[in-house]
Amino acid sequence: MASGASPSSSATRSDPHKHSTTSQAEKRAPASKEVSAVIDSLKKKLAADRCISIKRRIDENKKNVRGITQSTMRSCMERGGGSYKDGSDLLVKRQRDSPGMKSGVNASDADKSNNHSSFLEDGNASSTTMVQGSSVPVKISLRPIKMPDVKRLSPYTTWVFLDRNQRMTEDQSVVGRRRIYYDQTGGEALICSDSEEEAIDEEDEKRAFLEPEDFIIRMTLDQLGLSDSVLEELANFLSRSSSEIKDLTTEDMNTEHLIQARYEVLMKEKEVSESGDNQAESSLLNKDMDGALDSFDNLFCRRCLVFDCRLHGCSQDLIFPAEKPAPWTPPVDENLTCGANCYKTLLKSNRIPANGTTEDKTGTSSDGAGTKTTSKFSGKLNRKKTKTFPSESASSNEKCTPETSDSENGVQQDTNPEKVSSSSKVKASGRRGGRKRNNNRVAERVSRRTQKRQKKSEASDTDSIATGSRSASDAKHKDNEDATSSSQKHVKSGSSKNSRKNDTPVDDSKNSVKGDDPFSQSNAVASEPCSDGSLRKEEFVGENVCPGGLSEDKSWRPLEKSLFQKGVEIFGMNSCMIARNLLCGLKSCWEVFQYMTCSENKASFFGGDALNPDGSSKFDINGNMTNNQVRRRSRFLRRRGKVRRLKYTWKSAAYHSIRKRSTDKKDQPCRQFNPCNCKTACGKECTCLLNGTCCEKYCGCPKSCKNRFRGCHCAKSQCRSRQCPCFAADRECDPDVCRNCWVIGGDGTLGVPSQRGDNYECRNMKLLLKQQQRFVLDAYRKGDKLKFANHSPEPNCYAKVIMVAGDHRVGIFAKERILAGEELFYDYRYEPDRAPAWARKPEASGSKKDENVTPSVGRPKKVA
Amino acid sequence: MRLGKLRQEQFPRDERFEMSKIALGNESLVGSLTPSNKKSYKLTNRIQEGKIPLYSVVFNSIDARFFNCFVSAGGNGINLYNCLEDGGISSLHSYTDEDKEESFYTVSWACGVEGNPFVAAGGVKGIIRVLNVNDKIIHKTLVGHGDSVNEIKTHHMKPQLVLSTSKDESVRLWNVETGICILIFAGTAGHRYEVVSVDFHPHDEHRFVSCGMDTTIKIWSMKEFWTYVDKSFTWKDDPSKFPTKFVQFPVFTTSVHTNYVDCNRWFGDFILSKSVENEILLWEPQLIDNSPGEGTSDVLLRYPIPNCNLWFIKFSCDLSLNYLSIGNQKGKIYVWDLKSCPPVLVTVLSHSLSKSVIRQTAMSTNGNTIIAASEDGTIWRWDAVTK
Repeated sequence: MASGASPSSSATRSDPHKHSTTSQAEKRAPASKEVSAVIDSLKKKLAADRCISIKRRIDENKKNVRGITQSTMRSCMERGGGSYKDGSDLLVKRQRDSPGMKSGVNASDADKSNNHSSFLEDGNASSTTMVQGSSVPVKISLRPIKMPDVKRLSPYTTWVFLDRNQRMTEDQSVVGRRRIYYDQTGGEALICSDSEEEAIDEEDEKRAFLEPEDFIIRMTLDQLGLSDSVLEELANFLSRSSSEIKDLTTEDMNTEHLIQARYEVLMKEKEVSESGDNQAESSLLNKDMDGALDSFDNLFCRRCLVFDCRLHGCSQDLIFPAEKPAPWTPPVDENLTCGANCYKTLLKSNRIPANGTTEDKTGTSSDGAGTKTTSKFSGKLNRKKTKTFPSESASSNEKCTPETSDSENGVQQDTNPEKVSSSSKVKASGRRGGRKRNNNRVAERVSRRTQKRQKKSEASDTDSIATGSRSASDAKHKDNEDATSSSQKHVKSGSSKNSRKNDTPVDDSKNSVKGDDPFSQSNAVASEPCSDGSLRKEEFVGENVCPGGLSEDKSWRPLEKSLFQKGVEIFGMNSCMIARNLLCGLKSCWEVFQYMTCSENKASFFGGDALNPDGSSKFDINGNMTNNQVRRRSRFLRRRGKVRRLKYTWKSAAYHSIRKRSTDKKDQPCRQFNPCNCKTACGKECTCLLNGTCCEKYCGCPKSCKNRFRGCHCAKSQCRSRQCPCFAADRECDPDVCRNCWVIGGDGTLGVPSQRGDNYECRNMKLLLKQQQRFVLDAYRKGDKLKFANHSPEPNCYAKVIMVAGDHRVGIFAKERILAGEELFYDYRYEPDRAPAWARKPEASGSKKDENVTPSVGRPKKVA
Repeated sequence: MRLGKLRQEQFPRDERFEMSKIALGNESLVGSLTPSNKKSYKLTNRIQEGKIPLYSVVFNSIDARFFNCFVSAGGNGINLYNCLEDGGISSLHSYTDEDKEESFYTVSWACGVEGNPFVAAGGVKGIIRVLNVNDKIIHKTLVGHGDSVNEIKTHHMKPQLVLSTSKDESVRLWNVETGICILIFAGTAGHRYEVVSVDFHPHDEHRFVSCGMDTTIKIWSMKEFWTYVDKSFTWKDDPSKFPTKFVQFPVFTTSVHTNYVDCNRWFGDFILSKSVENEILLWEPQLIDNSPGEGTSDVLLRYPIPNCNLWFIKFSCDLSLNYLSIGNQKGKIYVWDLKSCPPVLVTVLSHSLSKSVIRQTAMSTNGNTIIAASEDGTIWRWDAVTK
């Protein structure tokens, strides 16, 4: 701790001094030589600081040591002068009277020591004198005291309990298995693991900047200003001094960006000087949903619906079904409200105080479709407000300013303002003439900065450009394209960079009013929820005016926005459900409702002339598009950063080997199913088709896909002959696919006991059992309790491999009526020549053997 | 002989054990190898104890009456000597284990409750012999370790307590007076390979540091278990019935080294530790108060020792921690000044006949005498030259 603190503290002390000496250099563009000189000097300074700190600490410790040693010495003395009778002090006596030895040694030693003193001066003295001196080494002629033999302990008696010493089947123990828990503050599922080969955080740690590195970055950039050459030089220097960089070309770029980002962070730290409010919460909320779901995506098995499944392994491909189910609509009672903040109650209550004009009514009642009216309503209200409550508008000015300025920013950049469809916005801004000049200035500054920053972020954030341009083209506002994309980029880059240290939006907006710092300014813009550029501005105006919950925190964080989008997918445009189920504690129903109407507006703008009557599907598609894009990026990130550590090596290895085996032999009846990622009905290139498996419910393709297994239409418990397509295909019926056989009205048993009572599933295919004459299952390492079932040539059960939810499993089925308590046997199906003696049938005749070989058991067969 | 070979084996050199680059601003100061000759020593005696390798030699630093006494261990023999004023060495006692298989690796002075001097020694058999050298009898035989004992250290303030480290990956705390094994430090967060060295904290009586072949250094605390220590003094029952406790979690773990760590000593609140990388490090453990087990280490000084990459070469310091001496595998002894920063090499002691590995040196309490135990069975005495 102390070492870390000392360089920085001294740095701040010497800061002004350094600055004054190099203030001239700041004006010129710094040459690389100059940069390296500065860096070198800083480095030297660091080293000197370090040296001083070490010395200081050593000195402190020295004092410490002196005290300690003195006290130990004292205690030794006390012990020596203990109250002790002379008679018992035998060793002292012995010390005194070991004279014979002593004198004998001494005589030869006396001159020897003289000789040796010369040896010490020059080590290469002639060996003759030496030999003479040492050829009479002192021999010890003491009669030793015997210690009786004691038996040593066997190592196992002192066995230390360690995890690795445990003997337990892996299925039953949690040891070695990752424990996944949910981190409240980080908002993600984490792995709690005590396995010893954990090199997980190394990379993350290395990337983090140490304090001295920070110091160098800060000082150099302070002195020389921010420019490419400086950054390059810094990257060079840091990569040289920190060993973690492997990949030169790309990493160089990365370090540069990192440095830049780091510098910004440092600057911001200085500016903000610790607003220090609930960091944990905001860090969670400022993550976007993909970030928050990343660990979930990695750890959750979509086929087994458990975390960390052992069968399919982690980090499977993310496959999203192409067709989404229709939004779920609960039986809605029109008058039922979801709570105090329900939009229904608020709408009712607002209608009276907010001067009950007709526009107002239409605006509120037309929550489903009438988007134009809403915007009009907001515009008018706004006007009214600025007129009637000037003082209040001034007080809300703080919050208003960034948005309005930004909206004007959009206007400014428009070549042709008349083309902008949102005429009400122009009106609104026009009315606010008093503030306009001021806003203009701010807007100019903002635009300048956005342009500047746009350049920088271009390289780093190609993704955001893609999304930006996409949404812009969607909007079909050619003139606005620049503005939207730039501001969107802005949002993107801002949020990604600032996610580390985010302050409250209120703070930001205050900062931006002052408008003296580029970073806080950009921050303010970033924290705005305007993911879709200047077009949304109008809505903000509207929201500002709206009474009630909006006033204190109107910004929607990225996570909240994506949660909202998900909510729309799931529940449709039902703000009560969305607020209750997804945004509980974050947003009230009323806020969700307002946001929804806003986004509807936006959707209508996007849609241009083709206004979709129900509005939601449009929005859906839009959201879906961006969603996919982000997904792809997060996949990429995972592949780079996290997947390596999340790989569950032995498991996935086994999995792949099975898969490989199955693909090697084309005629295999058991093929490993891997869900395909087709977006439309599967064609020739579908991976399932190529692999020779059916498409399952886990595939991305729509239900109409030709390759899908259709399930059966059998009546309940009739799926026991080859008439049933499921039975014929060796598949377990799936309630998601089959029509009737699982659905049992009334009694609620769902068919499980009656149908599968005689069927134990042996998970993970670990039985010693030759299934289908292809695989041998070996239960040596794993298996469930049925691995203890014995072989019998005349079994009462048979084993059958069936497809259960995309995986092959071995089912043990009854061949005959089995009473409770009866032992279960099944045929292990040993090869006739390899079968152990006990496994042979009592009358080992040829014909019986033949029967054994023929796959009488593995093939579909009627249940007795 | 077989064991001697064993002690020469080296840790496999591996890419990842190459010294990692030191982060910017965390450089440590490295001592230079040019001796300052501030103090010089001359060879005053040499004793051939036998042909058996000597692994340990220790001065008494507990009892002021016996500051001149040292004890050596090697093979199945333990020998007590007295250093005479004129450079001579007199033999006081000699003990041998009847089992020829025994090979003592370590020896330490201890003290009974009545103040009579004890010597505790352990070796390949894992049995610790506590000798009452005053009465020339075996006081106790401590059985418990499942494998060879690598080091025994005595508590500074309560010299009845000794710690022993073993190949069985555990550290044990014993009461030599009553022969009770009080605590066992092993388990979940314990060492994962032979524990080689241990040292009691000089003034925090509850703490000690241990290091081993798993390359880690761990600081342990006995604070919560101190009642058991007190109980061990008054235990009248059979020692095997004592409720020995397992301590599974150290308060601090670090790997400042990337290879076997075979010796460590407290230096105030800092730690001197030696790995088989030809240098001794002085570093500061930076514990985080609220999260045991975590923390960082800051390496401050480095004392290079050439030709010192065998494991089981141990250094020693004088009582007031002014000097440090360590032998190497060429038979030379390096004496470092611990008070200077950056480190200053005081002198290198070499002799044309001293060619085999010096496993351990012993510095007398005042630092004026250095005894070196060599693998060829000889004991070398070096005395400071008073100018």
